[in-house]
Amino acid sequence: MKKFLENLTTNQKLGGVALVLGFIALFAGDPYGGTSIKVNEKDLALSTVGNADKISVNDLADWIIKDKADFELVDLRSEEKFNEYSIPNSQCIPLTQLSSSELLRNQKIILFSDDDVASSQAWFILKSKNYKGVYILDGGLDAWKEKVLFPKAPVNGIKDELDQFEKMKEVAKYFGGSVQTDSSITETKTQIKLPTSKSSNTKTTAPTGKKKKREGC
Amino acid sequence: MNAPFFKFEYFNRDVSLIIAFAIGIAFGIALEKGGFGRATILASQFYFTNMRVLKVMFTAIVTAMLGLYFFSVIGFVDLSLVYLTQTNMLPMVVGGLVAGVGFVIGGYCPGTSVVAFATGKIDAVVYVLGMIFGIFVFGEMFPSIENIFNSGFMGNVTIPSYFNLSYGLVVFLVVLMALGAFAAAEWGEKKMSEKSGKEKV
Repeated sequence: MKKFLENLTTNQKLGGVALVLGFIALFAGDPYGGTSIKVNEKDLALSTVGNADKISVNDLADWIIKDKADFELVDLRSEEKFNEYSIPNSQCIPLTQLSSSELLRNQKIILFSDDDVASSQAWFILKSKNYKGVYILDGGLDAWKEKVLFPKAPVNGIKDELDQFEKMKEVAKYFGGSVQTDSSITETKTQIKLPTSKSSNTKTTAPTGKKKKREGC
Repeated sequence: MNAPFFKFEYFNRDVSLIIAFAIGIAFGIALEKGGFGRATILASQFYFTNMRVLKVMFTAIVTAMLGLYFFSVIGFVDLSLVYLTQTNMLPMVVGGLVAGVGFVIGGYCPGTSVVAFATGKIDAVVYVLGMIFGIFVFGEMFPSIENIFNSGFMGNVTIPSYFNLSYGLVVFLVVLMALGAFAAAEWGEKKMSEKSGKEKV
């Protein structure tokens, strides 16, 4: 063996090294390390038709009250803001940690942040990583506060609207919010006291998104 | 520390020009030292009498490929940030043929002609002037060939993604191909020299 190596020229030795490295490469995996993604643009565009990729806050409130458990509610804001207030049953996964989260591709995932921007970005990231059921909470937490927690009474409402409002009142109460009367409409949003996390049944999970058993209401 | 350094903003655009200048100088020296500044050596590749171009090119390809592959596997290089030329099939075939014919006739490729120009070879001076003239003509007639220029667009294609092979397999196959080419080149050169030796006798 030693003699064999000695008889080789430098070029042959270098060639041998290349061969060995090439052979290792067979088993060393993908150099892109999964950082590149394939996007089916048509598929993506089609999934936004007719707002099929959005969930309204009222629907979500309905689902939470009915204790539907077939979706993962993801809060994309920072942990700090999440601890301050978040929608019940949500888990905190900041946008930057989304790709390392333990969300599964077959789960129904509803994304939200303060408005629609971060959730749209997260939607695109997850969609391009082949997550199937990804949805955006339409209007985000702002819409949640406005329509679910602190709904405004219709000014000159017809009967249907008033009936609807009675229901919304109950919903708001359920989530620890209150109805805005005419006098309180002038209040700025910051003055509205958000229900504390303790009083609501917000599920606080680690940012890694480790799946915990869902707690009841 | 991660590569590509410029994309990770370890230095700014001005510094990148200085680094490019240094790398360019080193590249030119390497080409000249490798004999790529002489048209006779370059052209003899196409008559299979001197396989130096093939050997140097394959050595460069295999070295760069193995380096980039393993650096990115261990996470040092982010390959997705390395620039990939987009593929336009038809214009690239046409351009390749033009460049190939020009290489055989002129004895230089665009890069090596500049190396030979730097060492003051008259043919290289003419070649470079011709190249600049060609660039000018191309620019002037570009509107009329723009359709061909943009045809057959395929985006960022790589062999592994196009043929749905694993990157490792392609790396291994290219190494095998290079080693095969080296062996064939050595054997061919020996045969050729024997033949020319006999003819002389």
